[in-house]
Amino acid sequence: MRKPRIGIFDFACCEGCQLQIVNLEEEILDLLGVVTPVEWREAMSDQAEKGESFDIALVEGSITREEDAERLREIRARAKFLIALGACATIGGVNKLKNNFGMNDVKETVYGEAADMPHLETMPTKALHEVVQVDYMVHGCPIEAAELAHVVRTLLAGKTPTLPAYPVCVECKLKENACRFEFGEICLGPITRAGCGARCPSEGSWCFGCRGLVDDPNTQAAREVMAHYGKTIDDLRGKMLLFNSK
Amino acid sequence: MTVRVVPRAALDAWVNDLVQRQKVYGVQLKEERFAFGPLVRAADLRLDYDVTLLPPKKYFLPQREVLSRFDRFKVEFEPVLADEPFVLLGVHPYDFEAIRQLDAIFSRNHPDAHYLTRRRNATIVVSDVETPSQDVFAACMGTATADCMDGWDVLLTRIADATYAVEARTEKGTALVGQIQGTKGAGEADLEQRRAVWDRNRDVLKKHQLRMNPEDLPDLLARSYDHPVWEEKAALCYSCGSCNLVCPTCYCFDVADELHWDLQTGERTRHWDGCMLEKFAEVAGGHNFRGGKAARYRHRYYRKGKWIHDLTGDIACVGCGRCISACTAKIANPVEVFNRLMEATS
Repeated sequence: MRKPRIGIFDFACCEGCQLQIVNLEEEILDLLGVVTPVEWREAMSDQAEKGESFDIALVEGSITREEDAERLREIRARAKFLIALGACATIGGVNKLKNNFGMNDVKETVYGEAADMPHLETMPTKALHEVVQVDYMVHGCPIEAAELAHVVRTLLAGKTPTLPAYPVCVECKLKENACRFEFGEICLGPITRAGCGARCPSEGSWCFGCRGLVDDPNTQAAREVMAHYGKTIDDLRGKMLLFNSK
Repeated sequence: MTVRVVPRAALDAWVNDLVQRQKVYGVQLKEERFAFGPLVRAADLRLDYDVTLLPPKKYFLPQREVLSRFDRFKVEFEPVLADEPFVLLGVHPYDFEAIRQLDAIFSRNHPDAHYLTRRRNATIVVSDVETPSQDVFAACMGTATADCMDGWDVLLTRIADATYAVEARTEKGTALVGQIQGTKGAGEADLEQRRAVWDRNRDVLKKHQLRMNPEDLPDLLARSYDHPVWEEKAALCYSCGSCNLVCPTCYCFDVADELHWDLQTGERTRHWDGCMLEKFAEVAGGHNFRGGKAARYRHRYYRKGKWIHDLTGDIACVGCGRCISACTAKIANPVEVFNRLMEATS
């Protein structure tokens, strides 16, 4: 049987999620035992022929320019399954911070006098699913390598991968952490999708919300709950800007 | 066995010896809170703890466990059972009552070999509460003391600053206590001090006051299905399952298969689930039997006060108060909700 072909692509991002794939270390040999990578700029010297199709496209990064959107559509057309990899791809993540400002302000802040150069043209950041249909999402900043491995194995076995629909609090309780709210912090755990094993609270920090919101976050509760802890809605919104800007 | 008296130093010497010879789990400090964990020396054991973040049920029904290994093409399953003796040191009476209830649940119908194997391997040392936690209401649920409970192996009660009364009730417990050097038989004054600890705990483990007998709960709930409190409280619910996950009597789990890279062999695992989580009652085809927050919220209270009672005769709330503390939105206080229902229907 022909091994499924896999392509790995990146857009606006730090490439840290691809690094997580490399960080599979010994397991990367297991991965290569079941798939054939045909295109992976960060780790391979040989690249696929233009227009070649593949079974799984793993796509990292956000869409911030029209030519990126065009390239993503082309990848989508070539891929049987398209998997968004990491916060930039699944929710826009840190890249969406700029959506809180006008694009001219953003360009001037970053590029100063060169802001008007044509190759620096930019648009409000989009997550992949805001441009093309995305089949599965592997959330996180960076992704959990084990979660990606789970999704790939499940797909290859012909099954449907399921990712947590519940908030980070679940995994935090399973880890037997004390609640960050009890330490006077605002933690995004109650509204953030789990799957990270409550990584940040387990290290003594609040949850930054890098995996995006759960399907049905209780935003109604926010005001009263914040008041209970002596905080305001604006305190909460401030915490959400980093990964969950619109 | 009769009750014996042991100085703390002798108790510590015994613990330090015990941890060399077998697996011991005891209560220790964790992030300014307390948790059961593998014990390596007596100095780490905190019998003065108020409440642990998670109940000791995690040693019988772990957060995640492998049930079996499988080969999906050969259709072969090989069960995995954790078969190692261990001692659980410092279980509060309310948590022991919860373990007793889980024993009944996991022995029903199809006895659960994974749970029962761990349970058989355990020697449980119950210790009377020294420091009441902020939300405990065990005294309202009849679980403040272990004197009337059956099934514990050893009971440890601090009767003076550095002196403990120790009593074994089972063969396992007697063997364990027999290893402690320097004990002496308890006199009437020692027993009186122990009774005083129990009297005090039946009095003070009541940070919330339930205004009814626990036995009245099934009837109360039977007439409260449409009470407005369910919608009202659920409006603030994050569906985060914290109240379920910290509960010593919650035992719901989900089962999942995880494949190895050969895409043929793998492990069947089970992990804790909770009825407050949105997808808990979702079935094939996408229908969710409790899709709304209020339906899920109500279900938890019915589960504690009525459904389990219908099944085994137990009231499945032992008054540990963990759900009250763990709920970020502060809506999970069973005493508050049950009292509210009482007002409406009495």
